[in-house]
Amino acid sequence: MTHTQAPDPEAAQAAIEYCYAQGWSDGLPLVPASQPLVAEFLATTSRAPDEVIGELEQVGRDCTVYLAAVNAAMAGCLPEYFPVVLAAFDALMRERAARGGGWQSTSGPAPMIVVNGPVRHELGFNTSGGAFGPGFRPNATIPRAIGLIVRNAFGIRPHVLEQATQGLPGRWSICLAENEEESPWPPFAADGGQPAGVSAVSATLLRTCEFVDNRHTPDPEQLLWDIADTISRTGSLIFRDTSAGVVFCPEHAQMLAGVGYGKPDVQAWLMEHCGRSGADLRRAGKNGLRGIARFADPDESADDTFTRILPSPRHVPLVVAGARNAAISMVVRVFGEWSGTATPVEQLPAARERPAVGLTP
Amino acid sequence: MPALPSRGTTPGPPNLILDPTGTTTTTRAAKPKAPRARRPASLRGATVGLLVNTKQNAAPFLDELGRLLKERYGATGLMARTKVNFAQPAPDELIKEMAASCDVIVTGIGDCGSCSASAVADGIAFEASNLPAAAICSDAFGVTADAMAELRGAPGYRYATTPHPVAVLTPDQVRERAAQVLDDVVALLTA
Repeated sequence: MTHTQAPDPEAAQAAIEYCYAQGWSDGLPLVPASQPLVAEFLATTSRAPDEVIGELEQVGRDCTVYLAAVNAAMAGCLPEYFPVVLAAFDALMRERAARGGGWQSTSGPAPMIVVNGPVRHELGFNTSGGAFGPGFRPNATIPRAIGLIVRNAFGIRPHVLEQATQGLPGRWSICLAENEEESPWPPFAADGGQPAGVSAVSATLLRTCEFVDNRHTPDPEQLLWDIADTISRTGSLIFRDTSAGVVFCPEHAQMLAGVGYGKPDVQAWLMEHCGRSGADLRRAGKNGLRGIARFADPDESADDTFTRILPSPRHVPLVVAGARNAAISMVVRVFGEWSGTATPVEQLPAARERPAVGLTP
Repeated sequence: MPALPSRGTTPGPPNLILDPTGTTTTTRAAKPKAPRARRPASLRGATVGLLVNTKQNAAPFLDELGRLLKERYGATGLMARTKVNFAQPAPDELIKEMAASCDVIVTGIGDCGSCSASAVADGIAFEASNLPAAAICSDAFGVTADAMAELRGAPGYRYATTPHPVAVLTPDQVRERAAQVLDDVVALLTA
């Protein structure tokens, strides 16, 4: 770009301030969306602009493909990312929590979006170090687009219909492109029913993440005990069942696979060993059950009983992400439960012939 | 360029900055005003519907209110129902069932982000079935309850509040709270 073609910074600043003044921003500057830009987004999908892709009945609002495109453009997405935004949104709308009161919840959950397949490299996703961000445009802007859709299309705004008590770090910024190249296991999308090699997106809502740094044991079972200890914290237990996934670093995943553990083996091990004694639960005021909700029951009779908390493999989603440079994995606490499905990314025939995004100036 | 649906935005020059909300103030103002049920002069002889949203302490709170409405205000019948999904407005069938048997409704306790808003939405839905309703929310959720009322075409919809938090109260404290909010509930339900 020559100097004479450089955009007018004052016009850009005025447009950014205009977007702030309308109340559209999540706090960071927005890219002002214009019709020509949004048309480029809409050209990447066969779906009609007025197709409704999500409804929140309780607030009487919905989101169309067109509104998703405007918000994705404002989030800083490139038009080429739009099919991934649509797939991520479809995947999220399969989550019971997201269709219900999740976006309004005091827990302030964060979507965790997982991308699999060739689209990761075609669009320039970060698939290795720093998986939870920041630093990479598709990983950063796609979850932001989801946040803007919730804010603007659904009208769920902080302090009004959005009632997060504290929210959590990483809200609207977690988009993992799985490190399939260094994972010993089938891609996460395969657990969601999509064949390997297909570009697909999975999503769920998280209440937080916590690292498990275990670099020194050569014993896979010690690693699993370490992860189980983190999963079994009482703080996150509010219902009878819980759901906690693990985003394994490649080194931990390879160590487990090296002794023959597949994902189902890891899930079964964690389901068996994660939980607390009745005495521990009572000490934290969470031993009683009224329906499915935990409460402080003075009854001590179950003190010696070990209570398991992960009811099925679907409650233990396993992803491999990050660099192979250290043995650090992440426990991710799922809000509600993952739908267990992955959504394919639409790819129009014309779009396949476009040059890779990273090559365009 | 494919034709873009206007979704309430005014067609303008190509470089118009697009509205990501799909709404305009005009469409909001055009929303029909939600109806409000006629209030009885008193609760004497009334059947009170109690819609419990499963939040911790909601059931004993509403049970105690029902007891007090009978004891002190002459209500004669109680009909308690539970809304399984507290985050969502009550299903139509449940509203219809309660409307067929009850004279007034008490619903709550709205003490979370989604359930406070949906308690108010339920109150407004009962009003549309000509049932005076008193929704009860904890006082930490006024803004979200008011926002829901506006979304449902009932700006300024009045509901009763009790101090936050409710979930940690002992049974005695719950009864005390119910007694404290009793007069407000009666004022909301009667002319």
